[in-house]
Amino acid sequence: MTRAATVWVYLVFGFMYLPIAMILLFSINDADVMAFPIQGLTAAWYADIIADARLGAGFLTTLFVAFPVAILSTLLGASAALALVFYPVRWKGIFAAALLLPFLVPRLILAVAQLILFKEVNIDRSLWTVIAGQSIIILPFSTLIIASVLIRLDRRLIEAAADLGASGWSSFRRVVLPLMGNGLLASWVIAFVLSSSEYVLTAFLSGREQPLSVLVASDFRFNLSPSLNALAVLIVFGNIALVVLAEAIRRRSGAKA
Amino acid sequence: MRRSILSVGDWLALPVVAALIALCCAPLLILLAYSFFQVDFVTISYDLTLANYAKIAGSETYRGLIARAFGSAFLVVTLTAVIGYPVAWFVAKRVHAAKSTLLTLLLVPLYSGDLIRIFAWRVLLGAEGAINRSLMWLGVIDEPFSGLLFSPLATHIALTYNYLPFMVIGLWLAFESLDDRWLEAAADLGAPAPARFLRVILPLTVPGLVAGGLMVFVMVAGDYLTPQLLGGASGITIISAINDLFGTAFDWPLGSAIAWTMLSILMVCFGLGALAIRRSSLVAEDV
Repeated sequence: MTRAATVWVYLVFGFMYLPIAMILLFSINDADVMAFPIQGLTAAWYADIIADARLGAGFLTTLFVAFPVAILSTLLGASAALALVFYPVRWKGIFAAALLLPFLVPRLILAVAQLILFKEVNIDRSLWTVIAGQSIIILPFSTLIIASVLIRLDRRLIEAAADLGASGWSSFRRVVLPLMGNGLLASWVIAFVLSSSEYVLTAFLSGREQPLSVLVASDFRFNLSPSLNALAVLIVFGNIALVVLAEAIRRRSGAKA
Repeated sequence: MRRSILSVGDWLALPVVAALIALCCAPLLILLAYSFFQVDFVTISYDLTLANYAKIAGSETYRGLIARAFGSAFLVVTLTAVIGYPVAWFVAKRVHAAKSTLLTLLLVPLYSGDLIRIFAWRVLLGAEGAINRSLMWLGVIDEPFSGLLFSPLATHIALTYNYLPFMVIGLWLAFESLDDRWLEAAADLGAPAPARFLRVILPLTVPGLVAGGLMVFVMVAGDYLTPQLLGGASGITIISAINDLFGTAFDWPLGSAIAWTMLSILMVCFGLGALAIRRSSLVAEDV
């Protein structure tokens, strides 16, 4: 039974990585059509993407959005995680359920709802509305990441600090904060990745300036070319590098605690 | 600590609650309000009416689309459960050192974003795509099989791919808390393998199955991009109908009413799921 399961697990992981392998393969294939057999190797598609000024501008816009989103959702997520794990909070169950809400409400429904709200209070669509909207949908993820680090902290450390006369604030600043630092960093990186790849809400809330994901989506619809493979590969591997980094950071905190 | 009315935890929660109210609850409530308005030519009249809901209930198209959304969701939940069950068991019970590496590997493709994953499936499934060309190259088929892309099949393959990791995580958590001694006890008492699976393993992993299933269900029912970009003519979903009503068709009240119909059904599903989890974990405690 274990052997059958091993084969199955290999197949499933193969299935998960097949699409990524495919775009990687076609991004270096020297042919206009994305089809087998492979014609030869080229870096031309990558050169196309890097030289594309429109995509370059979109990339900068994405960075402009992702930095504040990552900071905001990490700060809010840290508050939420501390309240859930360490400090007693009123109506904890309702609070935890409310935190899941932005994750559970279908993205498009939340997007149109926010669109109406912004219109009702006369806020024009801009990168700021994108930042606000993205922060709230990423909040459940950052809360989860930071809470997963907090749960593993030894509560006795805080009790020891209190016994040694530390006030609530100084035990937080000198004991809890340093220990949750890796969680904050991991949350920041993951939030950054999620923000840069978010599309539905971004498309609804962005105005004239469009982040990379929105530009990429219109390219997917209207001009499918092999250079898109190269772009997708750059995005995928950029994201994977960041996620692996975040995971390493988060796990290091587990080893220390 | 009794000095102030709010504890430290409450103060920490306060900004989070404020953000959730401002950017999640308030928008959804305004959406609810809009669902009782009506479009009067090109303006929105603010007289309260149930006409939008009546329209949805009376329209075969909308009813069909809603039913199809939940049918798809149920199908994908089933597929991810069947595919993910052995994977979750394997990661929880047969791997030790590599456990977190395997889980990370499973989650990594998620972070490439919806768009990129859909694009990759398009490359794979297209008439000129990798699968067709390889099959022709190998001589299995003579002509490209065009039914692959822009079909419900393509949509459901990609949906299963997208949401499988969520199901595996839910099941994995259930398997991690499954005490192997139950199985030994069942074996000692003479239960054959099928009985051990049906009467011990399955009931004890129901909470994980329901939790993972609920996540997948909600996400598939609310998915907009995947059917839109891979489904072709079948890409018209209830969610894309909402999108159209807020865009070109300009009927925000009807769009809002459809959105709230979906949200209500999802809430009922959630309530039932939570109930199932509570009941099955009570059973687990009784064992």
